[in-house]
Amino acid sequence: MTDNTSGRRQDSGPKDRRPFYAKLPAYLYMLVCALVALFPILWVIMSSFKTNAQILTSAITLPTQISFEGYSMALQVSPILRYFFNSVAIALISTFLNVFLVSMAAYAFARTRFRLKGLLFSILAMAMVIPVTALMQPVYQVITALGLSDSLPGLILVYMALNMPLTLLIMRATFEGVPRSLEEAAYIDGAGFMHTYLKVMLPVAKGGLASAAVLAFLNAWNEFTFALVLTKSADVRTLPLSLSYFTSQFSFNYTALFAAITMAVLPSILVFAVFQEQVSQSLVVGAVKG
Amino acid sequence: MARRQAGWIALFLLPTVALFLAIYAVPLGITLFTSLFDYRLFPRRMDFVGFGNYVSLFTQDTQFHRALLNNLAWILLHTTVHIAIGAILALALYKKPRGWKAVRVIYMVPSIISNAAVAMIFANIYNPAYGVLNSFLRGMGLAELQRNWLYDPATSFLSVTMIWTLFSGYNTTLILSQALSLDDSVIEAAKVDGASRLQQDFLIVLPLVKPMIATTMIMAATYMLQMFDLIYLTTRGGPGVTTTNLPLLLYKTAMTENNYGYANTIGVVIILLGVVFMTLINRVLRTREG
Repeated sequence: MTDNTSGRRQDSGPKDRRPFYAKLPAYLYMLVCALVALFPILWVIMSSFKTNAQILTSAITLPTQISFEGYSMALQVSPILRYFFNSVAIALISTFLNVFLVSMAAYAFARTRFRLKGLLFSILAMAMVIPVTALMQPVYQVITALGLSDSLPGLILVYMALNMPLTLLIMRATFEGVPRSLEEAAYIDGAGFMHTYLKVMLPVAKGGLASAAVLAFLNAWNEFTFALVLTKSADVRTLPLSLSYFTSQFSFNYTALFAAITMAVLPSILVFAVFQEQVSQSLVVGAVKG
Repeated sequence: MARRQAGWIALFLLPTVALFLAIYAVPLGITLFTSLFDYRLFPRRMDFVGFGNYVSLFTQDTQFHRALLNNLAWILLHTTVHIAIGAILALALYKKPRGWKAVRVIYMVPSIISNAAVAMIFANIYNPAYGVLNSFLRGMGLAELQRNWLYDPATSFLSVTMIWTLFSGYNTTLILSQALSLDDSVIEAAKVDGASRLQQDFLIVLPLVKPMIATTMIMAATYMLQMFDLIYLTTRGGPGVTTTNLPLLLYKTAMTENNYGYANTIGVVIILLGVVFMTLINRVLRTREG
């Protein structure tokens, strides 16, 4: 967002010097993709400012006047803020615990020697290829047996696990890329195992930690299936799960329905607009390492 | 030194191993084991049936046949059409035409918001009363083409498919990142040899980004194998079973019919399909690199 693209374009990358008409198909395709991506969301945002009657009679036209009534009605009917904070809490806590705890294992795999290391790593990496959705019933059983069904800690535990394989692979590769001399210097200075890990290794692994955290956060923030299977009560409902109740909650109050969807979507879009470089980079790291 | 480390190593590995056991290993064991039983909780029953569940699935269960077929069709479409849409945009963007960064960011937006929100947006777009699709047809004088897009058995499959097929932002981001990292000299050399822009794109750049395309295809296949939220929140798999896939059938069998053994047999099929697709795509696309 902050870098100077026009300045950069001059000196890097192959430049397209063909006349404009030759580039037209590419520009058209870009335009269509942008419109396809934006139209559904813009339509919802636009409709959230209309009255019910306008929505029913003229779905495509712009609202005649901007009304925020839909937003106040939506907030009265559905405690969206509550669901929003549930989602924030679950995503932040599960991300922090996932990255903190799994990085420790990744470090052990990257830098220490112990018996059956290769075998243990292959077994853990197997989690990468298991389609977890296929395990929804027994995961429900395990969470219930742990006494965590229908609770925020239950969801946090599952989200930590869902992101475990990717964090493990990203962080192992990150630690493997750190020069050994750094650690050796720390040991020579008399630092212990824990101290070396926390004070020497973690700070230089910031890039990997950020990528793993971004991916874990996005996955937890958007997760729906396990939220549906593992929770019942409204107090532990996450934002994505609350969306499934909108249609019945807002029956025939379309303005409020569109306002509620807008409120559920806008935070993600705003955060993405600010951090898009970091998000894109994390996706690439995740795809390459994973 | 090594001896003193042993305790630390165990401590560092412990949380990750525990997470793996609780959410992956034990549920996987339960799934495999109970797939051999007629296993229900209300009333409690656990009768050994051998491979009976598997035999019923493949020889008698027409719902399962349709779910499997839908799932395979969606995986095929997702690994071809969906990836192609994103790959073509990456090819249009990698020479950094005017506005390329904006298009890349805008096209990512539908991929960054939660699937639950996307599903709600499309449920409204397809709504027969006020949805934008029918309004648009009316406006074009094509009122006779109006339908209840999601609940008409003739259009439900295609309508659901369109919810995810057009939004290929992740793939564009990943393929573009590899295309941008290519050495300019390769393309310059092709240009000197008189290769047209299309030839450069499809004969030079496309083969060079094939490893990333293979990665996106594997991700697309495993994603579509586990697709649940976008279907559950729009059609619940209906009308009939026209939009049911394996995860939806598993959910219905486990959560509404409480037929856990049978549900977990579907789980085993999903897991096996995952293994098959991963090896298949790896074989076809990766080993040819040499």
